[in-house]
Amino acid sequence: MQNAPDLNCGVRLYVAVGLVAGAVISLQISVMRIFAVGNWAHFGSFVVSIAMLGVGVSSTVMCVRQPWFERHWRGVASGALLAFGPVAVGANLLAQQLPFNAIFLLADNTQKWRLAGNFVLYLLPFFTGSLFLGAVFLKTRQQFARVYFADLIGCGACGLATLGGMWIYAPDHLILIPLMLWLAAGIAWAATLSSPRLLLGLAVAGFIAWSGQTWLADRFELTRLAVSEYKGVSYAQRFPDARRVYDRATPFGHIEVYASSYLHFAPGLSDNAALNLTEMPDNAYLGLYIDGDGPIGIIRDLPAAQTAYFDYLPTALPFALKKDADVFVVQFGGGLSTAGALRKDARSVTVADSNPAVLSAFRRDPTLREFTGDILAKPRVKVVAQDGRIFLSHTDQRYDVVDLSLADSAGLSNPGGFAIAEKYNYTSEAMQTYMHALRPGGILAVTLWNKEEPPKSVLRLYATMVAAAREMGAADIARCFYVVSNYLSTATVLYQRGGFSDAQVKTLKARARALSFDEIQAPGAHPDLQGTDNVMAAYRAQLFGSLPASSDGSTPPTSLASTDDGLGAETGDAPSVMPSVALAHAAWQALLAGQWQNFAAGYVYDLHPLTNQRPYFAAYLRPTDLPRVLDRLDLLQDEWGYLLVWATLIIACCAGAVLIALPAVFGWRGLLARCPGKAGTLLYFACLGAGYIMVEVVLISHFVLALSNATVAATVLITGMLVFSGCGSLCADRYLDSARRVMPFIFLAIAALLIGYGLAIDSALDFVGSLPYGWRLPCCFLLILPPAFLMGMPMPTGMTWLARLGKEQMFLWAWGVNGCMSVIGAALVPLLATSLGLSSALMLAGLLYLVALPAFYALLRPMTPVAEG
Amino acid sequence: MNRRSFLTALTAAAASSALPVASRAALTTAFTFELEPPMTERAAFVDWMANNRGEDRGFLGERWDRLQAMAASRDVWDDAIKRAFLLTPREEFVLKVNRSHSYDHNFLDIGFGVTISGPHLVGRMTNSLDIKRGDKVLEIGTGSGYQSSFLAHLTDQCYSIEIIKPLAERTRGVYDALIARGYSEFQNITTQNADGYYGWEEFAPFDKIIVTCGIDHVPPPLLKQLQPNGVMLVPIGPPGAQRVLKIIKDVETDGSTHIARTDIYNGRIVPFVPFKKLDGDKVSGTHNT
Repeated sequence: MQNAPDLNCGVRLYVAVGLVAGAVISLQISVMRIFAVGNWAHFGSFVVSIAMLGVGVSSTVMCVRQPWFERHWRGVASGALLAFGPVAVGANLLAQQLPFNAIFLLADNTQKWRLAGNFVLYLLPFFTGSLFLGAVFLKTRQQFARVYFADLIGCGACGLATLGGMWIYAPDHLILIPLMLWLAAGIAWAATLSSPRLLLGLAVAGFIAWSGQTWLADRFELTRLAVSEYKGVSYAQRFPDARRVYDRATPFGHIEVYASSYLHFAPGLSDNAALNLTEMPDNAYLGLYIDGDGPIGIIRDLPAAQTAYFDYLPTALPFALKKDADVFVVQFGGGLSTAGALRKDARSVTVADSNPAVLSAFRRDPTLREFTGDILAKPRVKVVAQDGRIFLSHTDQRYDVVDLSLADSAGLSNPGGFAIAEKYNYTSEAMQTYMHALRPGGILAVTLWNKEEPPKSVLRLYATMVAAAREMGAADIARCFYVVSNYLSTATVLYQRGGFSDAQVKTLKARARALSFDEIQAPGAHPDLQGTDNVMAAYRAQLFGSLPASSDGSTPPTSLASTDDGLGAETGDAPSVMPSVALAHAAWQALLAGQWQNFAAGYVYDLHPLTNQRPYFAAYLRPTDLPRVLDRLDLLQDEWGYLLVWATLIIACCAGAVLIALPAVFGWRGLLARCPGKAGTLLYFACLGAGYIMVEVVLISHFVLALSNATVAATVLITGMLVFSGCGSLCADRYLDSARRVMPFIFLAIAALLIGYGLAIDSALDFVGSLPYGWRLPCCFLLILPPAFLMGMPMPTGMTWLARLGKEQMFLWAWGVNGCMSVIGAALVPLLATSLGLSSALMLAGLLYLVALPAFYALLRPMTPVAEG
Repeated sequence: MNRRSFLTALTAAAASSALPVASRAALTTAFTFELEPPMTERAAFVDWMANNRGEDRGFLGERWDRLQAMAASRDVWDDAIKRAFLLTPREEFVLKVNRSHSYDHNFLDIGFGVTISGPHLVGRMTNSLDIKRGDKVLEIGTGSGYQSSFLAHLTDQCYSIEIIKPLAERTRGVYDALIARGYSEFQNITTQNADGYYGWEEFAPFDKIIVTCGIDHVPPPLLKQLQPNGVMLVPIGPPGAQRVLKIIKDVETDGSTHIARTDIYNGRIVPFVPFKKLDGDKVSGTHNT
């Protein structure tokens, strides 16, 4: 089929396509930010992933009615484009008036409908955006490679612009960025069609959208961003004397600081402080909130008498042994560890933080500087404006104490759960870096919240630190560790390079006793491990056990630990050692004896150590155990980030199956019958869709290793991948005629690169991380370039060949399959990463590109001539 | 009607629908600590309460059924606690929109980012506190007011502090309305809007303390205001999957004080109980299936 003469494939068209594609990705980023601030980030990913199925829906609709769309392409594209802005604003405003409350998702059925309402609303703008792109792709299919180039370049550049716009617009107005891109796209489209009427329509649509977001929302007091009442910042706002003293929108998060006399911080404080101290400081704190999560405590510059309570914090433990120390604080957070170290007369305190917006607030804001006594400018304090882990891995400096303590939010409750986020600061590789940065006799102190029952995070931490010590070649590992915990509070692991002496152990034991902390591991200790098997069995039964009916048919009385009457636990004294403490004793004995595999295999949760390949304090449930907990998801709220990824995958698979099947059902049998290689063609685009997004998502996670910050990594990756792929797409245009000969080499090269990256990228990124920041960015772009460039070629090549072979009916279908598989691929990455490691996703993507090679030849099979029938 | 009036009326209607409501029937029998509703048979209990306390028969039936489930799962075991549960009109402390779910297993939203805990957890916590008549009990985080209203049937000295002013005022209003209707037991509850971190020095020391606010440490002022051998409970973790820390301020024979940490199951591991659906007084499944 020839290109229609009435659509001029010139620069104006490419600009319009690029800007529309950019507006769609900008909207995607904006919606995710809105969810991150108002709700919880993983719900944003969930909603956007499902909403992106709008691409699949639009392509299916166009597939089914292709002749109609062929005739009315101009009206469809223009109408969809005009609708995008008002629909995006309207959908967002309506969704914000219909907030769902994540913590009641299982208990309250109306919340499920609200969430479904959010899906539908956010699907609409993505549907209109992809309808425009689909109509243009259909019309320009002979030149698909160039249009696709514009699409990718637009996505990359506009993604970058959106991230830059986060310096200007707070999350509630971030949607103005896709609106601006959309308006610019509309002008380019009107110029492409030389249509003044369209320009007029755009002005009207633009007015509606812009005034809806600004004037109308103000006039009718519509919430632009509904912040959950269960977010940390909402509580601060309700304190009677709460005052916001700092507010800055940045790409590194929306940073807010509140002042209130109702804020109190002493994370993990020993209960004995109450028995020994006369006063706790009043009005001494500010609360730092990032994207509404927190608070992270900021402490006033207090006189010594009012900070006596520091001695009762778990973070003070290393200073029982180390006087006049050079201290390194891996993550500054709100500065509590730094203030504690200064109070302990540290000779110097070097503080690092990977979030430049936080450091900037403390260094530049007059209120924060005055409140903290300008803590970062104190003579004994040195600031490292980068990730502490990366700094330590490339410095010759050595320290007496390296501190990694409770840097994250101090909240006790975590409604909404945790997203699956990379915690590279806690991996075995990071621990080795910290251990290596210690002077002989230096102490690494790691404190983590210990509020889970059955315990999980702390057990992973223990396993990680012992694995790191083994890698460091410590001769007598048992002598290197002293560990204490406080029930349902914190756990602190002290590692000393060279091992603790008997005198030091004695000092630590005395300190732990004074604080009433439970001793979990001490050199020379031999805890009684009797009953460990009972505890392990009881935990398994606690989570997975079914509740057999009792004689009266009501809730059965069951106690699964070794109890007296087997019925309940309402009377009698508590055991001298709590089950979780007994379990921790057993865990350390297993770790020190090299029997961790056996121990972990019998435990209720997955306890693999954190590594750069699997850097997660999440996904504790083994995938095989998921069916056993479907009736009790309310008990696993901290795992919802992980569970929602499974939900996304299942919904995307179901939706994908329907969208793929629909065109076949709606009268396509006749046409499809003349289309050989149908299955191969679909497989080809499915592999590309899943493979491409998997590489993009997994590389974002990997690149945090070198770039320290998830936002910067996402920016570099999204921009680099899409721009280089766009260049690849343009290049593919030159090899279309020789595709049969060239493409096998392209696929093999992509597969080889991805598998090679899977094996070696951590080492490369480790090296890149050692460079000055200005060099890291171009190096990262260089790393992205080869695979991204090559991966930009198969999609336009396949699409253009479909058009050349006259397989128009497959064209939109293939595009839709590609879109659906993108959602599935994006959901697959965290599941693969948490189960098998990040590189497994890269390698799988490489395999998918290998599978696409034979599928490409199926795509190239010519149409069966009608005459032959 | 102009737009402003319309919006005002709409907001007022929405606000009134969000507030807990008091039923209108009158009490004919005032509360005393000796008051004993029938506790052996559902119909007798419902009849007695309807006649003497003027409460809704539907809610009374649900209350009875929920108690059976709580007793069977050993979340309550003392008769005094069972009696207190049966005398406490939980439906008065939930939002109107959630009234029909008053006796569901799960926690419910009460606005302001605060929940009313499920009856099983409240029962287990209350029974664990082992409250005797005359005990002085401090609650940090009044919330819906249900916990204190439960306690008010066990002791005449309940003190409750709420940090969120509108919530404190709303709950005080609920108590006052119920007192006006004859629920004299709620006169046992003294409330104030303040920062619970510092306890309530004026009435200290306390025999028992319940802390229901999120904080990263146990406030030293509260431990100081706890009587020797007193007990403090602190729920920790997200709603629905909370563990309740139990702190006992032990005073040894030599006069030294030791603070012990355990939980409301006394260190035993008991099965997680998913949200339950009740079919009459039988558990018929969970809300997740």
